[in-house]
Formats: sequence, C-alpha cells, structure tokens
Amino acid sequence: MLLPEHTLLKPVSLDQCLIMLRDLTAGGGERLEKAQLIAGGTDVIFNMRLKFFQPEHLVSVRRVPELQRIEELDDGGLRIGAACRLVDLADDPRIQSRFPAFKQALDAVASAQVRNMGTLGGNVCLETRCWFTNNSEEWRQGRQGCFKTDCEHCHVIPSSTHCHAINNADTPPALMALDAMLTVQSARGSREVPIAEFYRPDGMDHMDLQPDELLTHITVPATRDRNLFMKYTPRKGMDFSLGAIAVRCGGQGERAENIRIVLGSISSAPIVLVEPARVIEADGLGDASIEQAIEQMRDELGEVTNLYGRATYKKQIAKTLVRRALVKIRERV
Amino acid sequence: MAKHIMSLTVNGDTREFAVDDRDTLLDVIRNQMALTGTKSGCNTGSCGICTINNAAGEAVLSCLTPALEWDGESVTTIEGLEADGQLDAIQQAFVEFGAVQCGFCTPGVIMSAKALLNKYPQPTEAQINEGMAGVLCRCTGHIKVKEAIRNDFRLRINKGAESGSGR
Ligand SMILES: Cc1cc2nc3c(=O)[nH]c(=O)nc-3n(C[C@H](O)[C@H](O)[C@H](O)COP(=O)(O)OP(=O)(O)OC[C@H]3O[C@@H](n4cnc5c(N)ncnc54)[C@H](O)[C@@H]3O)c2cc1C
Ligand code: FES
Ligand code: FES
Repeated sequence: MLLPEHTLLKPVSLDQCLIMLRDLTAGGGERLEKAQLIAGGTDVIFNMRLKFFQPEHLVSVRRVPELQRIEELDDGGLRIGAACRLVDLADDPRIQSRFPAFKQALDAVASAQVRNMGTLGGNVCLETRCWFTNNSEEWRQGRQGCFKTDCEHCHVIPSSTHCHAINNADTPPALMALDAMLTVQSARGSREVPIAEFYRPDGMDHMDLQPDELLTHITVPATRDRNLFMKYTPRKGMDFSLGAIAVRCGGQGERAENIRIVLGSISSAPIVLVEPARVIEADGLGDASIEQAIEQMRDELGEVTNLYGRATYKKQIAKTLVRRALVKIRERV
Repeated sequence: MAKHIMSLTVNGDTREFAVDDRDTLLDVIRNQMALTGTKSGCNTGSCGICTINNAAGEAVLSCLTPALEWDGESVTTIEGLEADGQLDAIQQAFVEFGAVQCGFCTPGVIMSAKALLNKYPQPTEAQINEGMAGVLCRCTGHIKVKEAIRNDFRLRINKGAESGSGR
C-alpha cells in the first residue's frame, strides 16, 4: 500500500530548509496541508499511512547539519539540535548523569527500532493523538468525522466544542520539569520559548509553532535538583503512555524546594501541578503531605477524557503516578 | 508521479532504482530488489516485522521510512546475514533453540536480535527485554527467542568448532 502522493524535499542547510518552509507555506492554509516536516518519520509516515496526514510536501531535516549537534554550555547545560536521534541522546553519558528525568523519558519512548529513527524534535512536536485519527481512512469513513478531519465533532468528548486529542509524547513532561528552553526559527527570524509555554490545551492547535517555523534546538539548563520521570503503560517497552510524570525538586530527603511536578499523556498539553507543588514545598515530602498534595490535584487535571482508558481510571493513574514519583524522589540525594 | 533515481546498497550489493516519493524502504527491498525475506506486517511501526539493520548495525523499521531518505546508504536484511553458505551465529542459535514456529516474524526478530547483539555482545536480561520489545511474535511466546539470544555468544565462540552442542 503506497503512501499518499507527496514530494519529498531534502534541504542540506538550515537556511535552505527555512526558505523552503517559507515558500511552501506562503499561500496560508492549514499547518499540515502544504508542507510537513519529517525528521525520523516514525509519526509522520504512520499518520500518512492512515491517510490522516496528506501533505503536499515533506521537508526532511535529516541532512540539516545545524540540527544534529549537541553543544555543551559553560554551566553544564546542553543545547541539543532538534534532529538528534533519541537513541544517541539516551546513550549520551552527560544526559545520563546530569538529567535522569530526561534520560528516563528518552528510554521510555516506543521501542529500540523507533528510538533508532526518531528524533527529539519529532517527539517534542509530536502530533496529538486519539483513537479516531489513529485508524485507517477506510475505518474512519464508516463514522462521522472530527475536528481534525473537517467536521465539528469530537469523538472523545462528543459534546465538546474543541478537539481533545492527547499530547502523548514522553519527553515533554521531563523537559518541562527541567525548565528546558526551545529555539524556534523561520526565515523571519528566531525566537526562544520556554517549553512550559509552548503547549496549548487544544488538540487541534497544540503548539506555539507557525507553519513556516521549525524547532531548531532544545536547551536543557544545568540543575543540581533531583529529578525523575515515570510512565505507566500496559506493555512496557513499546506502548504510548497511559499517564506519565516528571518531577524536579531541590532540597534533600523530605525537604523540598522549588518543586516542579508535570503530568503527561492525560490531556492535550502536559499539566504542571500548582497546588500540589505548593503543599509539598510548605510541608515537605512526608507521607501525609504527599496524600494532601494528591487531594489538591483533582481540580488541576481539567476535563479528563475517556481516551485509551476510562476517565476515572486515568484520574487514578494520575494520582498513583504522583504518589509513586514523590515517594521515589524523596529517596534521591 | 515522477520517479527519482536513487542508489542503495543492500547486503553489499549496490544498485540504482527508479523510485516514487511514495515508496518506502520496505517497498524497494521487497518489490525492486525482490528480497522478500523482510516481511510487511502492520506497516505502521507497531509489529517490528519489517526490521532491518542500518549501516551502523542498528535496527530500523523499513515500513516507516521513505525510500528516498536512504539514497546512497547501506542496509542489511535477513538475506545478508549468512556468509559463504554459513548461517550467522544468531541464525544458528534460532535453529538450535527452536525459536521459530510459523516463521513470519523470524526475519524481523532475528534482525532485531542482531542489532541488540551488535550493541551488547553479551546482553543482560534487561537489555534483551528492552531490545526485543519492538518486535512481536505471535507463536513462540518469546521465551525460546530469548534462549537463542542468550546462547548466541557461546555459539559465536564455538563457531568453526563442532556446532550443535545445544539440545
Ligand atoms: C509503534 C510506535 C510506538 C510509539 N511509542 C511512543 C511512545 O511510547 N512515546 C512517545 O513519546 N512517542 C512514541 N511514538 C511516536 C514517535 O515515534 C516518537 O514520538 C518519535 O520521537 C517521533 O520522532 P520522529 O523524529 O520520528 O518524528 P517525525 O515523525 O519525523 O515527526 C513528528 C512530528 O514532529 C514534526 N517535526 C519533526 N521535527 C520537527 C522540527 N525540528 N520542528 C518542528 N516540527 C518537527 C513533524 O512535522 C511531525 O508532525 C511511537 C511511534 C510508533 C510508530
Ligand atoms: S511492518 Fe513495519 S513495524 Fe509492522
Ligand atoms: S514464529 Fe509465528 S509469529 Fe513468530
């Protein structure tokens, strides 16, 4: 079965790539229609196979040298090119020793095969997912469409006025906990966006990224804080997360300063838990305080969907992940 | 659609092909090179059956990548493991430990195992589980596959000496 018709373009420099994006998207139109970036292709080709993505052009970042490098910053932070492969990052001793949450999230993505192909930029910019668009065109045609396929309907929350597809990528919660900064570039210029401000709670338009823009770098600043990532999934070593969590926390033992708790794969954007973090900062990481933090998070999950599990089950997963992650982080020095 | 000329080295054999933008690497290997050892399963990255090795000996999914992205590159498929009529140690181990039933997954499973052993010549249990999680076998239950992988190292040492000291 052939992929949908398209033209593959292979720029060999960042400038050439940005000019292609500018020219291809100049006429306006939907983000995914004219030109779509392809890095490892593990999600783009998947979606094209389902005839969900049908871009006129694919612009490959595989040969853009500027995007393939890891730069060491003076303070021990890392500036990572968006087209670096997940496997190379997971095998990098600097990431292993400095950013355990990031390393654990990289290892959690799919399978060895996918990590050998997939890139960090592709993971950070992963399209949101739901069971409707995850099926073939033939299957979808037997049903009503959805917001993403030109119909005012959401299969996940039928009464909703917007798309509830999930941000199912594993590295974003970890990068958010670590305060990563994204560099986004277009022929118009370049800008920096804290990853915490990059995602939006809208399955259709989930990123602060224009059609002519490209993510070029992910900068992870140095930190002395303990940090970790965990993912819950039925089948370890392959499946997307039913829920994921990343925590970064200063202080030692039960003392917690500057704690950041981020839930992934629950909603259209990763969720930074605010009240629970406040409780832990005030009362520490003792069992009672952790339970109190969990009580506080209920209102912060937003509308939880039935996607890939009942909403009540997913709330339970979120609570359990918070408990497990906080108990574990207090054991870290 | 317009065709493009690309070159690809498969198992040491370099050829040029006229390829469509819509062709995947799997399409070229199976339909143009007529190397049908590599199977097409889900075509969406979930089963691992189409696994081949890239030039660095890493496992990649040939179904999930446009052929044109591989212009000028070199890959190894299941047909490329045997040398001079001799099975590779991992193939030998699969035979010895009966890690094959219907055989449909076997090319993908062996190429995944080969990549795992390229990275970790003596893999730990965790490394085997991790490295093999991306490929599904519906028959063997994966236990015999793991046995074969654990014994690959021994077979490699014994290679040339009498073989078949397993079961
Ligand atoms: C079987 C299977 C299991 C998977 N399991 C997981 C999982 O457990 N966890 C997980 O997180 N993901 C999973 N994935 C999804 C995907 O493989 C990974 O997220 C991977 O990191 C995507 O990277 P890529 O380079 O292949 O992206 P591509 O497919 O090349 O691109 C993905 C998206 O990002 C955009 N993009 C790529 N690079 C850039 C850039 N530099 N700037 C702007 N936009 C860009 C593309 O246009 C596209 O929309 C799975 C995929 C498969 C097939
Ligand atoms: S056919 Fe490629 S992963 Fe299933
Ligand atoms: S032997 Fe039949 S699927 Fe693996």
